[in-house]
Amino acid sequence: MKKLLNITSFILLGIYFAIVLTEAQAISWYRIQEMFYFQSFHMYGLLGSAIATGALSLWIIKKFKIKNLNHTPIEVKDKPFQWKANLGGGIIFGLGWGLTGACSAPLFISLGLNWKIGFLLLLGALVGTLVYGVLKDKIPH
Amino acid sequence: MTNEPLAWYIAGPLIGLIVPILLILKEKQFGVSSSYRYILSGITKNPSYFNYHREQDAWQVYFAIGLILTGIIYNLNGYDMNALKTSVGSVKFDALTSGFYDLSNWAIFLFGGVLIGFGSRYSNGCTAGHCIMGMSQLSKTSFIATVGFFIGGLIATYFIIPYLF
Repeated sequence: MKKLLNITSFILLGIYFAIVLTEAQAISWYRIQEMFYFQSFHMYGLLGSAIATGALSLWIIKKFKIKNLNHTPIEVKDKPFQWKANLGGGIIFGLGWGLTGACSAPLFISLGLNWKIGFLLLLGALVGTLVYGVLKDKIPH
Repeated sequence: MTNEPLAWYIAGPLIGLIVPILLILKEKQFGVSSSYRYILSGITKNPSYFNYHREQDAWQVYFAIGLILTGIIYNLNGYDMNALKTSVGSVKFDALTSGFYDLSNWAIFLFGGVLIGFGSRYSNGCTAGHCIMGMSQLSKTSFIATVGFFIGGLIATYFIIPYLF
């Protein structure tokens, strides 16, 4: 029962996130093209205000030592700094984002919107992940 | 369906709130692309990248199920992925005969998907984990990754897309 509740809460959060992304049209290739052509402030305002809200929340959590539901202090971990991988992988990811208009969350939303297109995207993403797993120790990090 | 998006100053904060909600309710740091690794680790343990404590990432797959379900609901309500073709900004999409979201562009979706999967795992995060979560942490790692996302996106937009249609 507890496990089911746990799973359901994540599904609900996913639904919340997907509704906001879809309503803001951030899942659309057209909006992403517009962003990269610097023809609208919409996506920049969206990302900027999302980051500002996240940063302010983290500051409040730290400042007031807010605890999670289990009454333990909230720890925010930093990802390891590997600039070659962060930058190189970032550029490769960005190429995919620019080509398809989808990043990871919109990719899953697309799967519901148009399963054929979503299937191609997800299949590609899984192949890409597999290729990374194979090459991981051979490429610079 | 209207073509006006939900205003960024409403949608942005609603997105940013995911960060504290996940931390406080679920003790998780926001991210989506680890779900790819989780899914593959259910199929194979080789190479060793897929032999890991996968339970830590299971939640991202549940989260993704919520994303897919929402897509299905919009789809059932007649959501048109190409509706923005004629209405977005001043970008010209005239070269697109049938809209971008068309199976004739299958190679773009498939190959673009490969880049998304490989790139997000290589950079150790995607727009969610780096752009939103990591930048909220003011993390140097995520700043560099985000710069990479935009370099890649700009290259695709100016030097690849114009030659595909």
